[in-house]
Amino acid sequence: MKTVTLQDYKARVLKVLVFIQRNLDADLSLERLARVANFSPYHFHRVFSGMVGESVHAHIRRIRLERAADRLRRGSQAITAIAFDAGYDSHEAFTRAFRAMTGLPPSEYRTRRAISTRGNDSTGIHYESGGAPKDFHPSLTGGDAMKVTITQLEPRRVAFMRHVGPYQDCGPVWEALCMQLGSRGLLGPGVTYIGLSYDDPDVAPPDKLRYDACVTVDDDFVPKGDIGVQTISGGVFAVTTHQGPYEKLNETYARLLGEWLPRSGRTLHDGPCREIYLNDPEGTEPEELLTDIYVRLVPAGGDNT
Amino acid sequence: MSAPEKIDLYKLHKDEYVAPKSPKLVKTRKSRYLAVTGRGAPGGDEFVALVGALYAVAYTIKMTRKFAGKGDYVICKLEGRYWADGESGSEAIAPTDDLRWKLFIRTPDVVTGADLRGAVSKLIEKGKDESVREVELMSIPAGRCMQMLHVGPYEKEEETLTAMREAIERETLTASGPHHEIYLSDPRRVPPERLRTILRIPVR
Repeated sequence: MKTVTLQDYKARVLKVLVFIQRNLDADLSLERLARVANFSPYHFHRVFSGMVGESVHAHIRRIRLERAADRLRRGSQAITAIAFDAGYDSHEAFTRAFRAMTGLPPSEYRTRRAISTRGNDSTGIHYESGGAPKDFHPSLTGGDAMKVTITQLEPRRVAFMRHVGPYQDCGPVWEALCMQLGSRGLLGPGVTYIGLSYDDPDVAPPDKLRYDACVTVDDDFVPKGDIGVQTISGGVFAVTTHQGPYEKLNETYARLLGEWLPRSGRTLHDGPCREIYLNDPEGTEPEELLTDIYVRLVPAGGDNT
Repeated sequence: MSAPEKIDLYKLHKDEYVAPKSPKLVKTRKSRYLAVTGRGAPGGDEFVALVGALYAVAYTIKMTRKFAGKGDYVICKLEGRYWADGESGSEAIAPTDDLRWKLFIRTPDVVTGADLRGAVSKLIEKGKDESVREVELMSIPAGRCMQMLHVGPYEKEEETLTAMREAIERETLTASGPHHEIYLSDPRRVPPERLRTILRIPVR
């Protein structure tokens, strides 16, 4: 099987970067951009933000502002028209965003033509008037290299409860699930606590995020009340351990999908991200919490399957 | 995952768990525990089975009481005492097959023998290992102890215990039983050099 290299991922993300700059006035939805890069919409955003160092939304916003700066410098177009093209309905909102990027309000910026049009960015991607970016440096957050292992998981039968809403509000669902299973004598060592997150919190609206709180059960488990039962798929997974509060899981996802994955030679499989909680959040300090994060991969030749 | 009315015994009795890096004399209240007693090397078959049984019972009691509207509490850390046959001193003992130990989890006083019996029969009914029958309720009377935080592998506890015994002597006190360990870190997840353990030697 052909190995996917960093260059392949880079080339696909670069295609998106070029597409964005050539279509700045068009509707740049995530689904459309994911198609351009031939990524599954499910993982596209995390790969993009991991490699580019900013979210798709922030990137488009910055490139539109850089274009506005370029137009202010070069032409005599009215500021309101430039603001509108940059996606701002009001002069005030545009001025605020523009000042945040360049340090100057647009009118003053126009009179000082020597100033750079470029916002802060470590990856070297900027608005190119009349062209498009030809290359970029995939972002690296630095620090210790990520410890990632490839592992084979068997399908697991789980009792679960569905939570819809911000991920950090999934506590009550866990409370209810553990209380009901625990009072039936179904908790203890040998039981695995699994979270399935179906949506990227940087993309989907917070009140629409879907999450299943799952606890492994035997074949004779009978679902009751709010509790359902499902078999979660097995397969080949990349796994890394996140240490710290659950609110920061997203940072580890970004590194796993944006830094590790493109350099791994692997391709992602579709499907929800999986978290396995290794300690009890009730009796553990947030900084000490350990969570294994699993993302499913397309099997490759060397895997022990 | 925390509701305001949840009892956290360690937070409630913070003064009993003060553990500086030098020995300190601490007063402890009468306290209740779920406990198992066994023999053999830590990490051996009996040890692993009984730790599993202890946790299964602890979670079943907690969740059953919560489900019945009898309040909620945090499951405390694992604690342990080790001794050899015929000994009651505070010295650290080499882990051998003859090593005896008691492992326990602090539990609110509201937990009763009926709670324990109910949980055990529920677990047996669910096909859990018979070792859940070994779990019992026990109390440790109020008292005083020399206490200190040990950071590092369990094998190096003797160094910390020596410092504690010297402090006991300085205070002209006497050790009154086997030493007691409270495991703040999970040895399956934390490297040995970073393991944090509260050590206690009861004194009079």
